[in-house]
Amino acid sequence: MLRGLYSAASGLTSQQRRHDTITNNIANIETAGFKQNTTPLRSFNEMLLSMTGVDSNQPKTIGTWTGNVFAEESLTYHLQGDLTQTNNRYDFAIISNIAVDGLIFDQSGKAVTDNGEVVYQPQAYFTVQNEQGERRYTRGGQFSVNSEGFLTTSTGDYVLGTNDEPIVLPAGVSIEDLTLTNDRRLVTSAGTDTGIQLLISRIDNPHGLVREGDGSYRLEEGAAAAITEDDAVEVRQGYIEQSNVDITQASVDLMAALRAYEANQKVIQFYDTTLQKTANDIGRIS
Amino acid sequence: MNSSMIKALNSMNSYQMKLDLIADNVANSNTVGYKKKSAVFEDLLNTVKEQPDSFALDGRKAPLGFNQGWGSRVTGIATDFTQGTMKETGVLTDLAIEGNALFQVQVDAAGTAAYTRDGSFQISINEAGEAVLTTSQGYPVVATLPDGSQGRIVVPEGYAMQVRADGSVNAVDEIGDTIPLGRIRLVEAVRPDALVQAADNLFALAAGADADQAVAEVIPNTDNRLAVRQGYVEQSNVDLSTEMTDMIRVQRAYQLAARALSSSETMMQIANNLRSN
Repeated sequence: MLRGLYSAASGLTSQQRRHDTITNNIANIETAGFKQNTTPLRSFNEMLLSMTGVDSNQPKTIGTWTGNVFAEESLTYHLQGDLTQTNNRYDFAIISNIAVDGLIFDQSGKAVTDNGEVVYQPQAYFTVQNEQGERRYTRGGQFSVNSEGFLTTSTGDYVLGTNDEPIVLPAGVSIEDLTLTNDRRLVTSAGTDTGIQLLISRIDNPHGLVREGDGSYRLEEGAAAAITEDDAVEVRQGYIEQSNVDITQASVDLMAALRAYEANQKVIQFYDTTLQKTANDIGRIS
Repeated sequence: MNSSMIKALNSMNSYQMKLDLIADNVANSNTVGYKKKSAVFEDLLNTVKEQPDSFALDGRKAPLGFNQGWGSRVTGIATDFTQGTMKETGVLTDLAIEGNALFQVQVDAAGTAAYTRDGSFQISINEAGEAVLTTSQGYPVVATLPDGSQGRIVVPEGYAMQVRADGSVNAVDEIGDTIPLGRIRLVEAVRPDALVQAADNLFALAAGADADQAVAEVIPNTDNRLAVRQGYVEQSNVDLSTEMTDMIRVQRAYQLAARALSSSETMMQIANNLRSN
């Protein structure tokens, strides 16, 4: 059978995946702390084709062929989003630019060491605890205080403090009276320390995080640790981190995915015509 | 099914909701004591398509599984309690709060409390013929009376109301005779999630919330930088230029989502025409 027909079909599926990912990015332009995704496409493993039907002792090779394509993974770009001032004291934003000795990261947060190893820039996250008591990480800092006084995310997950416990505001204290210090402690306007310090986690390889929806990520590979004084991480109150989706890029990618999809469809149609000729016209006595 | 379509649809719904909130803010840009609302977005639900171990190829960065989100949704509405500008009216029953506090009012005979920033009060005559300080909708304003109990401010006939910066109210007549009437009760919303916006420019206690935990009484003094200003009203804290900028942004985002929707529609059409002849 004509191999290219299946290649074109795999192209259709892959471009559909790409289109889906871009649509999801566009859907989250207004989501604070959202990190955009990309779908890298990958060709199937190379294989060596041989001609059949020739002398079996001396097979005749045709050459290599990497027939099909597939959407390999959904990759998140954990890069800094722009900060917007909201003056809302419930809003917190992380500015993270953690340096690693001897490495210079490029715009996608990647660096290659002298011996060819690829290293990604570590990133900082708010540490939260979901209803099941599991630890999650998020960059969406639009918090609120529930009726029991717990500091929560907008979906109700508890924000953790450096004592690994959910942060609870002292009775009768509103967050309007609290100010975040440079070392991420909440102090009252009178200057008294409430003993609350936000737990910011440093994830060495952000690609080990798996998105769970509602802005939270689960750590699947690699380790997380509380940030230290040496890490270039700053938390600001009264700001939100905008989604890092690049709208221009997204619109261009959307068109590109659509047209690549269409091109694959055309290829299928060409194969269809070829097959029609083979099936109906070859050997016809007219 | 074409999941792009579902994602675009979900996000268009939430952008629509944000647009509604902006419209609400703009409509209330002249409402006394109105507090601006804004929508909080989160990315919607994720599915991970399982991938077998053979997908762990060289150069792969993320753990196994193809992660797919389904658009965005509005998870909450945040109220911005920033101070609005003070406008002088010269009306003696107009009160404005400087700083973070709310007036407490009584919304029914059972004494259910609600809270407001709207200090355009008036004197209403109740069934007993008393001149009571109420909101413009007629809800009595709660005050701590001189005997320490909680009640309403009743202005005796022939007297005018005088309110000090600390919220204490006196009745003064023409010859300067002064009667203390009590102190207007001010509270701070310490657990704002326990308060929900209600009609008539009020904040009500959410179902199941405890008033003692949700709000704390505050007495204006120089330390907490609170003050009550008589003859002023607090204007809405909606900033029209911010709202307009937000509206343009949301409209563009909506447009982009609509474009993604029509693009996925084209894709389905292409798939439909796979066999053209």
